[in-house]
Parts: sequence; C-alpha cells; structure tokens
Amino acid sequence: MALATVSAIFLRWLPQHGFPIMLLFAVATGAAAAIYFTQRRRYSASSQGMVKESVDADIPAVFWTAVAGVMLGGLGIGVVLFTS
Amino acid sequence: MTGDQATTRDPAPPTRGKIADRLLPGGQEPDPRFTLANERTFLAWIRTSLALLAGGIAVEAFTFDLFVEPIRKGLAVLLLLLGMLLSAGSAVRWLRVERSMRNKAPLPLPLIVPLLASAGGLAAAVILVFILRR
Repeated sequence: MALATVSAIFLRWLPQHGFPIMLLFAVATGAAAAIYFTQRRRYSASSQGMVKESVDADIPAVFWTAVAGVMLGGLGIGVVLFTS
Repeated sequence: MTGDQATTRDPAPPTRGKIADRLLPGGQEPDPRFTLANERTFLAWIRTSLALLAGGIAVEAFTFDLFVEPIRKGLAVLLLLLGMLLSAGSAVRWLRVERSMRNKAPLPLPLIVPLLASAGGLAAAVILVFILRR
C-alpha cells in the first residue's frame, strides 16, 4: 500500500521531469503488485510455520524489497540531478 | 504403525535453500515468532525509507517559492539518499539480527538509527532555517 501511494506521488513529478518519471512509477507499481500477489502465499507459509514451530527466513523477499527501495532512491536522485 | 510410533517419530528436518545455507549458516532455527518479528521490523524500516523517498519528491515538487534551486535539489537528494541507504541498511540489519538469533548471540546495535537521526536532523534544520528567514 505504501509503495502504491509512493508510485502515485511520483506522478506529481511528471510535469517537471517528463518521461523518466514513468520508470520510477513502473518500479514502485511493479514492487507493489509483486507484494500484493504473493502475500497470500507468504501469509500461508507463516501460518503453517507457526503451527510447525519453524519458519524459514524469507531471504529473497527481504532482498528484493530492499533492492526496490534502493532502485527508487537511485532513480529519484538521477531524475532530480539530470532531468530538470 | 501403532499410535505410539506415530507420536514418537522425529519430524523431518526442515529443508533450507542454498541461499539460506550461505547467508544464514550454522546455529539453530529461532522461535518463529522472533523470525516474523524481525521481518516486521524490516518492513517498518522500509516504510520509513518510502516516507523519506516521498518527502524528497515533495520537497523537489512543492517548494519552488520557498527554496532557491540548489538548496531545493540538495534537500531532495539528501532525503532520497537517506531513503536509499535506509532500504539497504534495513536489509543488512535484518540479516545481522537473524544471524544473531540463530546463534543465540546478543543482538547487534542498530547502525541505521544514528544515520537516520543525524541526516533527518540536518534536513529538518535546513528547512527550519529557510522558513524562519523568509
């Protein structure tokens, strides 16, 4: 939800910075969609893990969420510095 | 198989992926509540980093009449950079805490807290100075 909100806020930059903003919008929307469509599987794995008293640490989910944040920040800095 | 045999049989050992074996070697699986709590803390840091990203955009997009361009861009870059570092730092912290829990070691100090406090304080001070000087 937070990523979807941020993706909408990125659109506010469209008049000033033009087309590169769509890249930021795409990354934020893609990450939000990926989280939304996999949340049932992750919730199910967590619930079953609680029952079995063993939950595997979800390394790929943490890694890709962090990568999305780093990409958004990096692209945002690039947009601010090079497209106005 | 009798009922007694079924109840005393050891559960199958959990299967872990290669990535988990490499990044989280050794130790024992922690209590699942702690693993999930660590993940929730990571997500809270990610939300903070997203708020900083949105703040950077807001400064750049909405403060034309408040800041001269270099200051406006500098503030926006500072906030975006902080959001970016926080995203990466939260993943590193998640990994360090997970390793500590597996090895029953003391939890590491959160290095991203002083980073957030100092850079956030700097950004707030710059904004305050410019608002007071208007």
